[in-house]
Amino acid sequence: MRRKVIFALCSLCAVLGFFTVLSVNKVLHSEWELPSAVKTDQDRFRIVLITQELDTPFWRLVGVGAAKQAEQEGVGFELWGSYGNNQEDFLKQVEIALHSKVDGVIVQGNDTEEFQQLTRIKAASYGIPIITVANDVPVEKSLRKTYVGSDHYEAGKLLIEQLVGDMGEEGEVVLLGDLDLEYSQRLRLKGMEESLENHPGINSVYVESGSSDEEGAAATQQALNKHPNVDAFIALNVRQAGTMMQEISRRTELEPFYIYSFDDGSDASDLLMEGKLDAIIEQSPEQMGETSVEVMMQWLRNEVVPLNSEGYITDIRIVEGKGGLP
Amino acid sequence: MNTIQKKIWMLAGAVIVMMFAIWLALTFYNQKTQDQYNDILQRYLQMHEVSASSQETVTNLNEYLSEPTGRTANRLEVSQQRLMDAQASLIELRNAQNEFTLTNYSNMIESFMETVERSIAFSEQGENETALTEFTEASRISIYISEMTLSIFNSELKTYERFYRDIIRQSKELDTMGVLLLSLTSVLLLLFTYLFSLSITKPVHQLTKAANELAKGRFDHPIRVNSNDEISFLAKTFDHMRVNINKLILEIQQKAQVESELQESKLLLQQSQMRHLQSQVNPHFLFNTLNTLSKKAYLDGAQDTSDLLVSVASLLRYNLKRLDHTVTLEEEAYVLKQYMEIQKARFSDRLKFHVDLDETALVYQMPSLTLQPLIENAVIHGIEPNEDGGQIWFRIKDLAEHIVIEIEDNGLGMDAATMEKLRSGGINPQEGHATGIGFANVTKRLHLFYGREDVVEIESTLGRGTKIILKLPKVMEVENYV
Repeated sequence: MRRKVIFALCSLCAVLGFFTVLSVNKVLHSEWELPSAVKTDQDRFRIVLITQELDTPFWRLVGVGAAKQAEQEGVGFELWGSYGNNQEDFLKQVEIALHSKVDGVIVQGNDTEEFQQLTRIKAASYGIPIITVANDVPVEKSLRKTYVGSDHYEAGKLLIEQLVGDMGEEGEVVLLGDLDLEYSQRLRLKGMEESLENHPGINSVYVESGSSDEEGAAATQQALNKHPNVDAFIALNVRQAGTMMQEISRRTELEPFYIYSFDDGSDASDLLMEGKLDAIIEQSPEQMGETSVEVMMQWLRNEVVPLNSEGYITDIRIVEGKGGLP
Repeated sequence: MNTIQKKIWMLAGAVIVMMFAIWLALTFYNQKTQDQYNDILQRYLQMHEVSASSQETVTNLNEYLSEPTGRTANRLEVSQQRLMDAQASLIELRNAQNEFTLTNYSNMIESFMETVERSIAFSEQGENETALTEFTEASRISIYISEMTLSIFNSELKTYERFYRDIIRQSKELDTMGVLLLSLTSVLLLLFTYLFSLSITKPVHQLTKAANELAKGRFDHPIRVNSNDEISFLAKTFDHMRVNINKLILEIQQKAQVESELQESKLLLQQSQMRHLQSQVNPHFLFNTLNTLSKKAYLDGAQDTSDLLVSVASLLRYNLKRLDHTVTLEEEAYVLKQYMEIQKARFSDRLKFHVDLDETALVYQMPSLTLQPLIENAVIHGIEPNEDGGQIWFRIKDLAEHIVIEIEDNGLGMDAATMEKLRSGGINPQEGHATGIGFANVTKRLHLFYGREDVVEIESTLGRGTKIILKLPKVMEVENYV
């Protein structure tokens, strides 16, 4: 009897003890450590990449490349920006970055008065170097240190060569562009126009449209009305390419048309996959990110002074659509 | 020694220590958690402070610009100071996750303050237009600061989310742990209490059992108690008592034995006296008659008859003496000779009696009527059955340490069984004994008188004769031994 009681109590103790220890462990053991505090004297360079098209895969890739490079260089890096071409928000971000006295700003060039004001006056007053990436703003206007990205003039030329190769020396081509073109788009246009001069058989028409989808659609309609014999479309902005093709497909078959664009948006690769686009100029966003940070660090460390204000050109190439040519 | 009191104290102490330890641990843990909560709250409050003070600065700047008096300037300065303090405290909030943002934040405050300073400076120089522009700038930065505060709040929440959830989970776990801990403590206490009570009650049970044994009269079981407290002390004392009682009982038993032996000797004496009394039939008449007969025989010229009658008379007188008197060996030997005279008259030539006395031994004392029964035995068993008669030797020797008396006959003798029977007193005196006292009676009385067992020896061979040897210690003066 006595043995039994002692045994029962002991085993109860053991069981309870086991669970208590488990429970104590659970209570004391914290799964999540607080982020480690950093030493206050640790002063890393802080670089911000600001874009107005955070939502596009293109800019995501730029960000990835830049972040990779920043990690390699051991500097603080953040990707800021606005969604969907929100100009106001974008400028605000730039202003915040300047007020925050980051060490370097890598920015998607924006050829507006406000943007130039910011880069020219505010950045200069804070002494913050600005590097434009992917979209350039002329150095006279923006006082940027340098530009990292594709040579858009060259891209325009390349695309025309592709067009001539596909279509031949004869034909009518519609160039669709925004009402107020980005500097880069203007360069593309310039490249194309100059290249087309060498091909007198090709008749080109430039159509302007607003940045919204409705305006794009309307412009496409108008172009189709005015130029029923058109053979090829080139959208300066890949955003418009989608709208444009929708509009064309509403009227007639897409197939007979040669459609080209420049890749700096989200739709390009999808459209390419679907075979709707015949070819696009593909840029190297990741390379842009990497190079921009690298160049910025060279400047910040006084390794290369001054930077090549002409810019650091990244690769471009033609990518043809799957669907084959008409 | 562990006393029961000490045990109780220990139990209470263990309970208190256990409770205290648990309380301490819980308090410590609570304090830790509270500190964490405080830290977290502090973070948010500090960030809010930045936002609030920057807005206050903007308001004060506005007031100052519209009305640049000492009072507004002072208020502006106070709010600037407040913002600066808030900024300084931001450094503590930095961690690997928010380092970038916080640096930006801090720099933005700096920019804000610079703008404010510029605005004040322009205002003091009277360039109100520019001052106003700077004010607009400052208020815009202030808005940015507020927005950034919110975004930092957001990222803080994101960073710490799992941590917060962990805290919530931990506090839930704490409840479970509390219940488990409570039950564990209870069970442990139960166990301790049980063992403790057992350590008290078990010895008591053992003691009770031992007491029961004693009550039943079994004093030979030692009392053992497995304990080291007062009860063991009690048990030891109890055992001691048992041993003492045991000893006392043994003593009483020995005394009772001695008493019973005494009683026995008394009985023997009484028995002898009874026999005597039976033969005491008017002894004086017998004496007188025997004396008259002796005179008459003498006058009639029967000299032998006269002597014989005198012997009979003196023998009778000696036999009538009290048995509890001691006599000298000489007296005893004299009576023996008288007795033998009578027996010689009876057996005439058939009996030859040889006496060999050591005179020096005759002075020692011995119980009366001891030798006569032995001689009677020798006559009855040694001479009577033998037609040719026989011889009896009676010797007294004085040896260094004791006296040896030998009574020897050359009669029938006896076998070993008979001899053993005789020794143990299994044979009653037969008819023909003058005294009626048997061998056993003599032996017993000699034992009692001298207090030793080895006084009488018998040597006998069947058909050759019997020899009784008495080894008597030398006793000079002795009071009545009864």
